[in-house]
Amino acid sequence: MIKKIITFRPSFTVRILAGLISFIAIIAACMVAGVADLTQALSTRDANFRARLIEEGARVYMDQCARCHGVEGKGIEGQGPSLSSSNFFNNRVKEVGWNSTLETYIAAVTKSGIPLKSSPMWEVTHPPFLERFGGPLREDQIDNVVRFVMNWKQSPIDSMDVIEAPKPGEAFAPLPTPVPLTPAQEEGRNLFLSNGCNACHAIRGVANGAIGPSLNRIYEDAMMWIASEEYKASQGQATTPEEYIRESIVNPQAFIVPECPQGACPAGVMPPNYADTIPPADLDKIIDYLATLGRPAGE
Amino acid sequence: MSVIGKRLVDQVKSTGWKSTIAQRLDDGFTRFTAGLSWNDVRGVLRGDPAPKPNPRVKPHTEAFWFHIRPTFYHEAVTTLYPTFRLGLLSAVFFTIEIITGIFLMIFYTPSPERAYTNMIDILTNVPFGSFMRDMHRLGAEAMVIVVTLHMVRTFTTGSYKKPRQFTWFTGVVLLVVTLFLSFSGYLLPWDQLSFWAVTIGTSMADAAPVFGPTVNLLLRGAPDIGAGGLLRFYLMHVVLFPLIGIIFVAVHYYKVVRWGISLPPEMEPIGEDNARKVPPDKRVNFLPDIATNEIMYAGIAFAVLAISCVTWYSAPLETHANPLATPNHTVAPWYFYWLQGLLKIPHIIPILPGSIATALDQFFANVLGLTPKVFWGVIVGPLVFVLLFAVPYIDPNPSRRYGDRKIMLAFGGVFAALILYLSLAGIPTGVPVTGFGYVGGTPPSEVAQEFMPDEGEGALMTIPFDQMIVGEHAVRPDANVPDAPKLSRVLAEVYHSMERRKAAPDPLGQILNPEATATVKITQIQPDLKQISININFTDVNGIAQQFTKYKFIHKESGRAH
Ligand code: HEM
Repeated sequence: MIKKIITFRPSFTVRILAGLISFIAIIAACMVAGVADLTQALSTRDANFRARLIEEGARVYMDQCARCHGVEGKGIEGQGPSLSSSNFFNNRVKEVGWNSTLETYIAAVTKSGIPLKSSPMWEVTHPPFLERFGGPLREDQIDNVVRFVMNWKQSPIDSMDVIEAPKPGEAFAPLPTPVPLTPAQEEGRNLFLSNGCNACHAIRGVANGAIGPSLNRIYEDAMMWIASEEYKASQGQATTPEEYIRESIVNPQAFIVPECPQGACPAGVMPPNYADTIPPADLDKIIDYLATLGRPAGE
Repeated sequence: MSVIGKRLVDQVKSTGWKSTIAQRLDDGFTRFTAGLSWNDVRGVLRGDPAPKPNPRVKPHTEAFWFHIRPTFYHEAVTTLYPTFRLGLLSAVFFTIEIITGIFLMIFYTPSPERAYTNMIDILTNVPFGSFMRDMHRLGAEAMVIVVTLHMVRTFTTGSYKKPRQFTWFTGVVLLVVTLFLSFSGYLLPWDQLSFWAVTIGTSMADAAPVFGPTVNLLLRGAPDIGAGGLLRFYLMHVVLFPLIGIIFVAVHYYKVVRWGISLPPEMEPIGEDNARKVPPDKRVNFLPDIATNEIMYAGIAFAVLAISCVTWYSAPLETHANPLATPNHTVAPWYFYWLQGLLKIPHIIPILPGSIATALDQFFANVLGLTPKVFWGVIVGPLVFVLLFAVPYIDPNPSRRYGDRKIMLAFGGVFAALILYLSLAGIPTGVPVTGFGYVGGTPPSEVAQEFMPDEGEGALMTIPFDQMIVGEHAVRPDANVPDAPKLSRVLAEVYHSMERRKAAPDPLGQILNPEATATVKITQIQPDLKQISININFTDVNGIAQQFTKYKFIHKESGRAH
């Protein structure tokens, strides 16, 4: 048996036959591949890949976009508008006067930020997400996010709690300030600006930094953090919102809130030396001002 | 009237115009075949014995293509043994790669922005695109196997000995070219699989002492693989290595013409080489015998490849390359598993008892800056090829007979066994039984990886979309979710996988605590998109309760379900 295999030498007829059969098999295989491609296979694979790109987009959306636009794309008060409502799919492009498709509008805003005209002052400006513009995403990831958002179009979500983007020219309703500012607090606000805090922090109508956490409701937030497990586990020692705000300015490392406009808040970005650079009297005024934000009426 | 015209007129006058046309056509034909007239070719095709003098040897002396093929072989080498046609098949696969590769080149741009999209286009928009890609990919892997087997056979039959040392040398160059061709092509789809396999591969170069970082920089064009690296790999893949390959195949083939194929060892007196001294009655002429034989084998190889590609084989394309996220269990391509295995050897001299081996490692690290990884992966790894180059020169034995070459054959066997063993060690699951080479995360992450791998498909991802019932399902041996047999089955599988990891520790000694539980949670994200996550509640080595979570998004049309 082994000897037979080892000494195998096909006869002329076998060669012609085997060669012919192989040739036919090759042609047949090519035809099967070609016919499959031209009937169904190409479009099936196309559908598969489209679907998988939407899956990839979903991952990017949940990682990067959901914290402002919501997991269901309904928008979040004070953070970002809905991306899944009928209004968004039907009217948004017309409203902002965008001369192309909604896809390109979504891509453009995601890549480079929102065009001024369509954006009244949000407390969180839209960060540019494209790597080239300093963001975290590659071009293909943004294409996929666009695919994911457009996938809501087939069944837009129109519940009561959808947050629509304001129309251009129409400012977002400012947050109610329960207490009118005292002259010292007014000064505090100016010091907030003159010391450059606005470069990183947003306060609706006052500042629109997009690096550190938004300070719109800092009083309310501070109360929440002081009571939280995370805060107790940290080095933070504040017991009142005012103490919390002071601590955040003079010892920013004591506690780092988890969420900033561009993702998790990075440690060590807020300068640690404000205690030395801002005179104590100024500091008091800034704190006094900040403590008005989000403070419940009557407190 | 010109001389040529006059000759034509004379010919028509003497033999008539019909015969003149036939004669002239036959002349042209003969010029085209470099020496065979129409009747000679018919004789060849009919299988007639060669006339004397034999016109069939003329193309070998007159023409380009046949001059790198021998006029005849010894009868004894035209059977399956001793060549097993492996050299021929190497050349066949090389040719197939060139043809299918040119097809793919038409649709491909070597840039990180375009490459992956181009791949999707080839698969979804180009008729025959996926077929060609499958052929190119499977053909490349087949070529690695065939070339390696060809080397194994020339080693076994002692064909590297005098006068074929240089044939062997060019052969080893071709082996290296084949591996580098495969490896450089691996990066081009620019998906996670290729990106990380090549990152691992080139970082081995980086670890080499002195020149390593420079080589790495030259290969990648930047500290990390990016646009520059992709372009360089592309140029290596389509210009540099094919060029070297073609040149060396030509030399290699010429050497086969010059020395003939070595006779089966037992047929020759020791130390002699009679492959070209063939008595006339033992000669098998290239035309037509060898040629038809080769065409047949080439046809069969091509047909097997083509049929494989329309039936069971489909080249993978994972998600877009992401330099920021390393998928779990990234591996080099399989033909470099042995190198990965080498990298996992823990000590420079691993057979010594642990403490002495560690002390020696310390010594080498302090004195020469040599870690075990660098020693085994970067110095010993390439030495393997140096060893192969040296084979004809380190084997002084003139005899090619198997009985006289016990040492060399044993050596070859041990070498092959070592490569296989190291290859096993190179894959994440490691060598069965000994567990050498096992790499794995914590048990919960391994459970998740089994059913929901970072790249590729796991059982949790292939559940049909309508069986992904929204809700949180506990994994249980008797899971029975209504209308979802596949989901229920997978839930039970996850349960058993967890039980296995509770029952016995993995090779790193990690074990899942007995109380660990898991759920699979499915949520609807969009009408045709669901999120499926696996949540494992366990207690870690420090006794702290933890939850491990991993999730995927699954679209109805993704074509995963089966
Ligand atoms: C692209 C890769 C290669 C091609 C196309 C190729 C092609 C061939 C062909 C057609 C032959 C004639 C005999 C036969 O078919 O077995 C041959 C012989 C030979 N090859 Fe290769 N080869 C390749 C790689 C190698 C490698 C990797 C080695 C060894 C390291 C090698 C060593 C030899 C030797 C020593 C012979 C002479 C065998 C004899 O005369 O019996 N070749 N090669």
